[in-house]
Amino acid sequence: MISVNDLKKRYGNIHALKGVTLDIDDKVTSIIGRNGAGKTTFIRILSTQLKPTSGSVKINDLDINKDVQKIRKIILSIPQEAQPVGIMTPLEHLELYLLARGYSLSDARKEGRYALEELEMRDFENVPCDELSGGMKRKVFVAMALASRVEIVFLDEPTTGLDPLSRMEVWNSIRKLDSNIILTTHYMEEASELSDKVVVFSEGKVVSRGTVDELLEPFKDKVRVEKTDGEEYDVKIGKLSIKYVPKHMAQEYLSRGYDVKNITLDDLFISRGITLES
Amino acid sequence: MTFSYLGGLRLNLRFILVFAYNYGLKFIKRGPSYLIASLALPLSLLFLIFIISGGKLLPYAIIGGVLSIVTSNAINGAADAAFFRLQIRFQDLFVASPLTKMDYMAALTASYFVFSLPGIVLYVALGFIFHILNLLKLIVLIIVIILITLSFTNLAFIIAGLLRHIRNVWGITAILSIIATVLTPTFYPYFIIPRDFLLILLISPITPASIFLQGYFGLAPYEPISIPILIIETIALMILGNIFIRWRE
Ligand SMILES: Nc1ncnc2c1ncn2[C@@H]1O[C@H](COP(=O)(O)OP(=O)(O)OP(=O)(O)O)[C@@H](O)[C@H]1O
Ligand SMILES: [Mg+2]
Repeated sequence: MISVNDLKKRYGNIHALKGVTLDIDDKVTSIIGRNGAGKTTFIRILSTQLKPTSGSVKINDLDINKDVQKIRKIILSIPQEAQPVGIMTPLEHLELYLLARGYSLSDARKEGRYALEELEMRDFENVPCDELSGGMKRKVFVAMALASRVEIVFLDEPTTGLDPLSRMEVWNSIRKLDSNIILTTHYMEEASELSDKVVVFSEGKVVSRGTVDELLEPFKDKVRVEKTDGEEYDVKIGKLSIKYVPKHMAQEYLSRGYDVKNITLDDLFISRGITLES
Repeated sequence: MTFSYLGGLRLNLRFILVFAYNYGLKFIKRGPSYLIASLALPLSLLFLIFIISGGKLLPYAIIGGVLSIVTSNAINGAADAAFFRLQIRFQDLFVASPLTKMDYMAALTASYFVFSLPGIVLYVALGFIFHILNLLKLIVLIIVIILITLSFTNLAFIIAGLLRHIRNVWGITAILSIIATVLTPTFYPYFIIPRDFLLILLISPITPASIFLQGYFGLAPYEPISIPILIIETIALMILGNIFIRWRE
């Protein structure tokens, strides 16, 4: 259980977090938001890598400022853009990481092997990481989370830059974790696939949160229709006219040359006239 | 989950040793060109000094060579430390874990030391072959090597911590390596440069280390004051390295 109260972070003049208040107690929580919304800053503060400017964070009643060492025993955080060390193999990474967490050498090796086995990576356990594919590299980190059996795992953009198939493989690996997971993503599909709750960040604040269904409630029984330079629109992004209409009117818009799209989490952003870059 | 104690300081020795092995030793095995590159400058200088001085200044080239190998490997560690912190986010991975800052720094330091080992062995062998070393002198030399490794790896942590981008790190380390090992009296007798200039060069721990070793090996006047200077500089750099590594920002 994580409870965040009026959390603020400033880098010089940049207000990266402008007072975030949030309770997190679901199995998997996804944080979505545009580039610069403050997701990484939030994760880095919660995982004790960065000190907040003000506000409080409690993880299982442990204070992020006072009980740092205790918190570090129950969390694990995979940074955005983390890469394995090229000359080291997956098994060496796991051993080293588990030793860092206080495992004995034999336990580290055993648990490391077990995690690689679980993620179907045993064949690659002795291949230097710079010879692995992007998806495999990511899975090395997921294996660390699997082997460590910590209470809370933070994953900052775990699948950015992967092809759709590798992404699904990483999702399957993430699903094998028993820990509570907090992940950030730019892929709406990922948030829907993996998480129980979604939190939407915008400009350093939480603008909405809920299950995917709850968040999409305003779009219930609607579709998105869009056309270049269409005459009707709710929002315009560039030349694209976008309108949300009841499902039963889809056929009519189709016949007038509009494309018809099903609603996804993307529409949370599109409906405000912004798109998620990814 | 047992940890080892070292001077009252709780260190995760298993992590440190396995890191030194996995990273330091495997680097030698899997990327040997870098090792050869790190030996190229001191060995070339050894050759030049030998030819030009007709063998007379060989002891300087050997003592200087071993110090310069250790120093430049430790300074180049800044590139690793910066790469780990800024590029592959390896440091952050460990920040959010029970590993302490001391463990991490000790592990990197140990891996640079391992990386210097082939060079150290080569030079120690040369030292015995040319009758410059005996067992006692070897022990003293190793203590100095350890102090120099500690000094310059902490300098590396300071550089890595100050950088906001990785792009400059190779340039900075190359310049510092040259300043620290070629400019200072590493390969030449310390008494031939003007006293004032020597005082300035004392900023680099390799200067008091060289002054001490040249004196101790009977190549130059013995200046015991160089010992406390070296120790104080090492401690100062360790304190600064601890601050600048930016464990929890
Ligand atoms: N070390 C830093 N120094 C200065 N400004 C920073 C630093 N880190 C982040 N910022 C700024 O803080 C804001 C929030 O950044 P953050 O990385 O938390 O966003 P994000 O939601 O993770 O973005 P992305 O989706 O691109 O990863 C941005 O405006 C960013 O430029
Ligand atoms: Mg981010």
